[in-house]
Amino acid sequence: MRGVLRTVVATALAVAVGASSAQAQKDKDTLVVGASLFTDSIAPTGGAYITLSLCYQTWEPLVARDNDDKLVPALAEKWEAISPTHWRFFLRKGVKWHDGTPFTAADVKFTIDYVIDPKQVYARKTRIAGVTGAEVIDDYTVDIKTASPAPLLLRGLADIPIESKAHTEKVGQAEAHKKPMGTGPWKYVEWVAGDRYDLVANPDYWGGAPAMKKLRIRAIPEGATRVASLVAGETDIIEEIPVDLLPSVEKRKNLRIDAVESSVSLVHTFDTRKPPFNDVRVRLALDYAIDKQMLLKQMLGGYGSVLDGQLVTKATFGYNPNIKSRPYDPAKAKALLAEAGFPKGFENKINTLSGRYLSDVDIANAVAGMMSAVGVKTSVNIVEGGVWSQLDRTREQGPMYSVGWFSVGDADFNTVWYTEASKRNYWTSAEFDKLWLEARSTMDEAARLKAYNRMMEIMHEEVPSIFLFGLPRISGRNEKVSGWQPSRDSLLRLNKVSVK
Amino acid sequence: MRYLLRRLLLVPVPLIFVIAFVFVVLRLTGDPVAIYLGLDATPEQEAVLRAELHLDKPVPVQFGYFLLDLLRGDFGTSIQFKRPAMEVVAERLGSTLQLLSLGLLLAIVLGVLGGVACAVWKDKVPDFLISVLAVAGQSMPSFWLGILLIQLFALDLQWLPTSGQGGWEHMVLPVVTLATFLVPNFILVMRVSVLETAREQFVVTARARGAGPARALWLHILPNAINPVVSLVGLQLGRLMGGAVVTESIFAWPGVGRLMVSAIFQRDVPIVIAAVFIVAVTIVLANLLVDLVQAAIDPRIRLR
Repeated sequence: MRGVLRTVVATALAVAVGASSAQAQKDKDTLVVGASLFTDSIAPTGGAYITLSLCYQTWEPLVARDNDDKLVPALAEKWEAISPTHWRFFLRKGVKWHDGTPFTAADVKFTIDYVIDPKQVYARKTRIAGVTGAEVIDDYTVDIKTASPAPLLLRGLADIPIESKAHTEKVGQAEAHKKPMGTGPWKYVEWVAGDRYDLVANPDYWGGAPAMKKLRIRAIPEGATRVASLVAGETDIIEEIPVDLLPSVEKRKNLRIDAVESSVSLVHTFDTRKPPFNDVRVRLALDYAIDKQMLLKQMLGGYGSVLDGQLVTKATFGYNPNIKSRPYDPAKAKALLAEAGFPKGFENKINTLSGRYLSDVDIANAVAGMMSAVGVKTSVNIVEGGVWSQLDRTREQGPMYSVGWFSVGDADFNTVWYTEASKRNYWTSAEFDKLWLEARSTMDEAARLKAYNRMMEIMHEEVPSIFLFGLPRISGRNEKVSGWQPSRDSLLRLNKVSVK
Repeated sequence: MRYLLRRLLLVPVPLIFVIAFVFVVLRLTGDPVAIYLGLDATPEQEAVLRAELHLDKPVPVQFGYFLLDLLRGDFGTSIQFKRPAMEVVAERLGSTLQLLSLGLLLAIVLGVLGGVACAVWKDKVPDFLISVLAVAGQSMPSFWLGILLIQLFALDLQWLPTSGQGGWEHMVLPVVTLATFLVPNFILVMRVSVLETAREQFVVTARARGAGPARALWLHILPNAINPVVSLVGLQLGRLMGGAVVTESIFAWPGVGRLMVSAIFQRDVPIVIAAVFIVAVTIVLANLLVDLVQAAIDPRIRLR
């Protein structure tokens, strides 16, 4: 018996010692990032937008976005519009693929051609819809032509990683997509689906070698575990701190919180085709019934912003500075409801996803409570993602539903959901549709801005949705980390990040 | 031997029902093409992918194709991974089996010891303490327990890593979480079983012939009392798999449970069915093993 006991104690000691030494060994050269969303594949053809966050560690686009959604040169050094349907890109010279071969115009043409091939499934293909083809002028010049004037081409190209022609032809597309070989700051080492993505620095990167020698992106889907990994020092940076855990990170002296307003606008959209929401007074009433400032503080920890009575965030092209959010005024809400013939309110329901957007369910519950307070008895219905997308396509979301629309910096990308062209809209306006089409088919930036500004006015007056928040992206880091900034478009940019 | 053969021949029957059910429910509640391509997919692009996945045919026809492929051992290609579904599942299976087998082993050892302790010290302090702990363990949701364990052992004491896969130290917390989920049942069953067996004639006879309490316990009572626990193992396997889904999510463990959940969200039917198939086969085989073990322990049980 004593022998057994001794073994147990010895084992327990070994556990403690072994584990602590394992922790002390955390590689000083490695930057470890805890990711909240982790896709099942790193292929650029992939569906989820977030795949790009992993793709862009190894690959690069012609034109990139920075952390503030501004366009910056990447593989293309500069560009010009020769005509509204004809763009010329001057490629960066001296860029090498990870296998040492030079990057040239042939790679660009190869990528564009396969992406627009109708037989190729490529989820983000619509981002460069209208491109008819690419033409090699010389090794470092490539022309891209579009069917109609394409003011959004550059923004669209920022979502298309350029792949190597020679490498893909040598190993085949499936293999090339399994083990990425790009021009980017990091080189592929190993991908373990659902667990981690390991990379090493590309010392020859044209933008300068990354500050750290190695990079590991870990999948940690559960928010509390992600925070724990940061506290324990297993990760240097984590994405998306759940709002209810913010205080526990704030009180740790060695941790920092960085937040940025994303370009995701969280809105609660009405089915305006049916009573009671076919009456604009009812929609207005509910807009007055919501105390958005209070919700921002309680549900989003004060990060992000209340939308200014319009769909887009301040940093998005198309923002109208003359429109302000409607104040919280429950008395006015009740008066408007009475005027519209609902002095006693009515039964209402909000459909929402759970966990897709920061605090989505909590926000829907709070909004429902505030609506109930002015007499509109509202319940919240949590819908699973697959079912949600079916309801969305058949436009059967019910009287109200919660959704976050991405703009990635330009109003075109989220105003589309209010046009007939989207086939997902409930509210409709001929003037709005006309302006939207005009804005996406002219190269005149001033005219585009004017069109979007007017569209924001129309939406402010007609209230197709309650415009709630520009959702924040709240990340956490160890104080030893420098050079990190969360991005508005949710992509991880890590080549300048270092850990002391 | 004939018994074994008959049991194995019956395996496909529940499996086909399970697969048909999963197939139809997933197809009817969501469109994998829409989910994969996202909101702004063009109709042409959807048509291409739909044809590629044979989704342009009616659901019964799709199911027919699927079954035919299954007979050839082909579970189809995952929409997300662009690889054979069974291959993807098989890759993750090892991680889950590791977790499940260690969790089960720990639960059995703790459960049997705990149950015996309760029975030996019936109505005394140890019985009371262990029973209270068992009830508390049973009523504690495993996601909460997991987070508490992370807080204590990874953050406060810093003995163990919070999450992820790596050396054996990464397995301690998930295995304990999973075992805690099962131990209470084992303790309660073992306790009752030992108490009942202790009242049997042969035990009384053994004591009368001069066997001391320890000898009576280890030699006479335990071998006869262990059988209900063994059959409980078979019954608990399904629950254990359910627990693995939660545990894998909390501890970022790349196993089949998490894979299955994410595949359900994506309506990635080939992956879900391959995973359900493997899990079902594992459970059926494990139950068969339980039967064999029971027969080996207790000669009164005959396999017919």
